Amino acid sequence: MRFGSVHTVAGRQARAAWMFLAPGLLLLTLFTAWPLVRTAYLSFTEYSLLTPPEWVGLENYRALLGDDQVTNAFQNTVLYAAVVTPVTIALALALAMALNARFFGRGIVRTAVFVPFVVSLAVVSIAFRFLLDPNYGLVTHWLSAVGLAPTQGALAQPGTAMAAVMAVGVWKNVGFYMVMFLAGLQSIPSDLYEAAQLDGASRLQKFRAVTLPLLSNQTMLVSILAAIASFQVFDQIKVMTNGGPAMSTETLVVLVNRVGISNLEFGYGSAVSVVLLLLILAFSLVQYLYFGRRQVRY
Amino acid sequence: MRPTRRTCIAAGAALALTAGLAACSDGGSTDDGGPVTLTMWHGLTGPDGPAFQEVVDNFNDSQDEVTIEAEALPWDSLYQQFLTAATSDDGPDLVAMSASRLPQYAERGVLGSTDEFYADDTYMDTSVLAEGAVQASVYDGVNYGVPLNLGPVLMYWNKALFEEAGLDPEAPPTTWAEFEEMIPDLTVDENSDGTPEQYPLAMGDHSTVPVFPSFLWNGGGGVVSDDGTTAMLGDPASVAAAEHWVGLVQEEQITPVGMSGADSDQLFQAELAAITINGPWMTAGLTEAGLDFDVTVPMAGPEGQSILGDVVSMTIAQRLDEDQKDAAYKFFAYWESVESQATWANGSGFPAIRTDMPEDAVTNEWAAVFGAPEILENVRPYLTGVTGSGEINEDIFTPALQSALNGTGEVADLFPAAGEDIQAVIDDA
Repeated sequence: MRFGSVHTVAGRQARAAWMFLAPGLLLLTLFTAWPLVRTAYLSFTEYSLLTPPEWVGLENYRALLGDDQVTNAFQNTVLYAAVVTPVTIALALALAMALNARFFGRGIVRTAVFVPFVVSLAVVSIAFRFLLDPNYGLVTHWLSAVGLAPTQGALAQPGTAMAAVMAVGVWKNVGFYMVMFLAGLQSIPSDLYEAAQLDGASRLQKFRAVTLPLLSNQTMLVSILAAIASFQVFDQIKVMTNGGPAMSTETLVVLVNRVGISNLEFGYGSAVSVVLLLLILAFSLVQYLYFGRRQVRY
Repeated sequence: MRPTRRTCIAAGAALALTAGLAACSDGGSTDDGGPVTLTMWHGLTGPDGPAFQEVVDNFNDSQDEVTIEAEALPWDSLYQQFLTAATSDDGPDLVAMSASRLPQYAERGVLGSTDEFYADDTYMDTSVLAEGAVQASVYDGVNYGVPLNLGPVLMYWNKALFEEAGLDPEAPPTTWAEFEEMIPDLTVDENSDGTPEQYPLAMGDHSTVPVFPSFLWNGGGGVVSDDGTTAMLGDPASVAAAEHWVGLVQEEQITPVGMSGADSDQLFQAELAAITINGPWMTAGLTEAGLDFDVTVPMAGPEGQSILGDVVSMTIAQRLDEDQKDAAYKFFAYWESVESQATWANGSGFPAIRTDMPEDAVTNEWAAVFGAPEILENVRPYLTGVTGSGEINEDIFTPALQSALNGTGEVADLFPAAGEDIQAVIDDA
């Protein structure tokens, strides 16, 4: 009887828990798990959306191995992630440390750094297109004023176009990661810095021995989120360059959009999506293992 | 057993749901041959939209048998939404789309044939329609559309800038050679920093009307043969024509590099370029902006003076039944009537599609210019009837052209390689 009542209470609690979880699980299943499974299935088919999927086995994966456009998009994606991820993290950490100090107008500066994150990326991208316009752009005007008039627009040349979309990516997201680092910095007990001070540690030593180790959780989270965001970059490239000029800024997600939506090759687009998923999973796992070993707890 | 309150509510809800679903179902035809309502999507969101809607309203008011419910969406949204709507059989009954897009959907059985409209002269005598516009919607021997508009792409020139350059404002270049002679006069680099403040030409290299392919035509080449079976980008004539224009862009800076069609339009409208090549849709904005401009046939190349014709066709969904098709054909015939074409041409600046318009019917100056018989007879559609037209133009030709223009590759290498890729797309279709 006593075990039975305990069992009943546990059962009720479990039922209540499932009821609370159900809406979230339902949404997760509908909008994340099911599309994931469906994409994996479609990657083994030829599918135009207008006719039923036709099973082709590994044909799409074989085709993408020898596809120059996939290689190009893969290289662009890796280049974007390799530059934007570390730059964003370093800048976010530097800004967080600078804005953790007390000074007049600190709140306004923090807000100014964070605001780009909440502005629509499409709006930001259109604004930057105008700023970089070779004929009317403010950036062009400034460069001309110092004798550096560009002969072509920044978005017209492969090298500068990629640099421009990278700069927008960093500027847009740095505020968000700064807030995460700021929260971490404020949770570090001040007596650790005082102890280090008594031991005669320099500012650099305090940063390396106290700040960085105690920010390891935030650094791991920020690194994984920033890397995933970089691998999935789409909006600003779609609006600013649409992958051009000459596909020099086309990343894997932009390629998936072009192949799937424009060319109606949903099977092939799904195969590229699966490869991107595996790439992100592998990269995140490496990051997790790397930072997991270096986590510091006091 | 008496029904409970809960049962009554459920029954009421079911009744309301049934009624709602019935109301939401396709308007379509009724079994007893009653009025037919057809939904239609189009992308005429600019100044041409009201002119189109005026004709639709006139048609709906003119009779009680057919009602057209037209909805305007931006072209990009239309193509994306039509794709998903067509898969669920829940799309529009009629849809307007660029003729070059049409084979993509026709091949997959989404569109219905309109051959019957052309064969049955009780609807209209279709021989009066511009042949190029009618043929643009033919795919694999079957016509899948009826022309909604025909936009010849002509050469605009800014007369004020010609005058400032010391050139005759009434004498635009008629050949490539004449244009080259004018380049020094039409280029303005006031501060001598190597970047002109004013360019001779405004030409986009992506997201634009295909101006560059028309240069290839007039040089004796092209992107794909007119029958859609052979890639021509690697032909010596195509390579020579491309090298000629790429050379002018790189060495003479006749136009900024990397512009979209919209950027190019802005450059010309801001009077920072003396010449541009575009369709009739641009006249309204330029007139409103107060530009002193005129329009003429694009300059001839050594091998011809083809005029690019941008055609939008009205197509029907495959699922339409006989009554719905009949209703659609009645609307098409009304659209192509002299009265409707006059309303359309005068309201939009597009030329009438009929070749037998009475002289005094079209009063819009630009519609008359773009609709001149010598222009309508020489329009040449681009990539119509080719299944992979989007992939060929956007994914292969445009990147090759951009690489050539921005100097990251040579035409002699890029174009033949792109030609091979295009041939592969054609062969795969």
